[in-house]
Amino acid sequence: MTIPTNPQATGELLIETRDITKRYGDNLVLDGISLGVRKSEVICIIGPSGSGKSTLLRSLAFLEHYDSGDVLIEGRLLGYVDQDAGRRKATPAEIKDVRRHVGMVFQHFNLWPHMTALGNVAEALIRVKKLPRSQAHDKARAMLAKVGLADKADAYPVRLSGGQQQRVAIARALAMEPHIMLFDEPTSALDPELVGEVLQVMKDLARDGMTMVVVTHEMGFAAQVADRVLFIDQGKIAASGPPAELFRNVRHERLKQFLQNYLDRNAFWEQ
Amino acid sequence: MFDASTFTQALPLIMKASQMTIFVSVIGLMLGFVIAILVAAACLSPSAGLRRCGNFYTFLFRGVPLLVQLMLAYYFLPTLGINVSPLTAAIAAISLCEGAYLGEILRGGFLGIPRGQIEAAQMMGLSPAHTLLRIQVPQALKLTTPSLINEMILLIKASALISVVGVAEITRTAQNVAASTFRPLEAYLIAGLAYMLINGVLSLLGHYAEQRFGRA
Amino acid sequence: MPVDFSLISQYGGQILDGFGITILSWVGAVALGMAVGFVIAVLQLFTGRWVRAVLRVYIEVLRTTPFLVQLFILYYGGPNFGVSLSALDAGIVSLALYGSAYFAEIFRSGFLSVPQGQLEAADCLGLSRISTIWRVQLPQMLVIITPALINMIIILSKETSVLSIITVPELTAVLTQIGSEQFIYVETTLVLCVCYLILVAVTQKLGGWAEQKASRYLQR
Repeated sequence: MTIPTNPQATGELLIETRDITKRYGDNLVLDGISLGVRKSEVICIIGPSGSGKSTLLRSLAFLEHYDSGDVLIEGRLLGYVDQDAGRRKATPAEIKDVRRHVGMVFQHFNLWPHMTALGNVAEALIRVKKLPRSQAHDKARAMLAKVGLADKADAYPVRLSGGQQQRVAIARALAMEPHIMLFDEPTSALDPELVGEVLQVMKDLARDGMTMVVVTHEMGFAAQVADRVLFIDQGKIAASGPPAELFRNVRHERLKQFLQNYLDRNAFWEQ
Repeated sequence: MFDASTFTQALPLIMKASQMTIFVSVIGLMLGFVIAILVAAACLSPSAGLRRCGNFYTFLFRGVPLLVQLMLAYYFLPTLGINVSPLTAAIAAISLCEGAYLGEILRGGFLGIPRGQIEAAQMMGLSPAHTLLRIQVPQALKLTTPSLINEMILLIKASALISVVGVAEITRTAQNVAASTFRPLEAYLIAGLAYMLINGVLSLLGHYAEQRFGRA
Repeated sequence: MPVDFSLISQYGGQILDGFGITILSWVGAVALGMAVGFVIAVLQLFTGRWVRAVLRVYIEVLRTTPFLVQLFILYYGGPNFGVSLSALDAGIVSLALYGSAYFAEIFRSGFLSVPQGQLEAADCLGLSRISTIWRVQLPQMLVIITPALINMIIILSKETSVLSIITVPELTAVLTQIGSEQFIYVETTLVLCVCYLILVAVTQKLGGWAEQKASRYLQR
């Protein structure tokens, strides 16, 4: 049964890429990708390894520096500044400003091990939003409660399971009140039985209207939650569309091959 | 050949002097650590200019002998019009020198922190300074504790050189005792014992730290 | 503040002499220290508990006390137990002994890094102890310990400056003397710094070259 996501995906364009490319040496990792993400849309990016999907996602945060084209966050160019004389690289301050409302969740959580869960979530609230300590801690506790970890606030990451760590990471990103959440294979590093708790948090987020771009191998999640699925192959968007359309009437050959792997393991779409 | 009475005479003086030795070493380590944070950050900075500065600082202060640096601080500064006590000059020279050695240790510590944590900090909007002070330094400190304790041992030994500029630490005091008792052997043997004792304790701390924190 | 180097050129000869003494004490200490250190490391491998304990004490004492104090003990305290050396001799011997403790540790870790199996093979083939050391262990050790050896050699080159304190006329002593005679501290200490930096840089370059040669000789 499909979890109802926001059907009103006709809001403003929060993310837009225009023909972006990226090269690593001779390797063309991103080959002219253009896409748009509207407010409250959930986009899932799937594809074989090496296809460029992680690079694409990280380019949306300018953690990878795309070579040409435009990445626009809420209408503003990210990573570069266009002047009359041409394009120059943006300063760290300019980059920070444009991606202020973008939150990111990483495959390996990237929690700071020397701080408690509460400390991790509150750090940016104190340092960046300049909230007084008690206020920051209250907000952090609320965030941890939202992901179901209110009782783990004073635990250090080393004491938490992978699923719990990732949920703390999500809480940490959410605390900054982003308009967009990027997820880079959020469950790939987790033991299978811990995947569900993280996906549930992400489903709740989607239901609440968060704009999300998720690189994932979890086809079930994509099928249930995504408004659109993008299949990336060899640096291009090879196929895209709503999951029902994409997964049921598979036309693209590579996508067929790719999905066959998963079909063999579990029938992932339900009506 | 051996005059035991010198020992009894020298013991209280050397013990008092040990405080100065430890004091200078601790201050040197702390100030040096602050400098080391800047040096290590510079050496790892994306800016080529900063990297060159950091590497040059390390080359300079590790290439010139500490004795020469001490003399530079003690004799040279007054000619610039800066008049400081021998102790201040000594601490300044030691701190700058230590900054270079500690910088190398810290640099290794920073490199041991997974890059992803820095990316997470960037995405959260933390400034480079905050990332350095709140994320990198605390972890590097833990990672490199055994090496830092080892540096402390080296510092205790290096502090003997500040006797040259007249600071009343262990070696200087031993020199005074040698001069007044005409028994240099006993005086310096006691000094050696004092250093061994201090460094022995530090070594034990180092072993404990290695077990708790693992090798750096 | 005007910096005048012209006076220094007058003392060119003296400075070169001082540099010569520095190099002499450095090379002498390194050669003697490495030899003694090597012997100690070998002894540690092949002798019983008591000899090893004595050697351990030797190493620890020399590594936990400042070189300056060791120097004073030998030079000023030496006559008290019958050893009267000139300043230069005392300097070289003391620096060598100081270095030997570190070299011993470096060689020891080198010996331990050669896989046990190779020693067993050599033993089975009938190789003598000495042959085993010279032909099997040493060549392989060198690759691993060369960086540490170079590092210690550089440390010893800087420690030669300490000899100035017991009036050995090496570089530091000569230049500080000139500085105080002519009141040109700035110039002399700058020249002093540059000299040591050149010495260290050259040694590092040669050391890097030695490391390369050592690893080419042995494929790992």
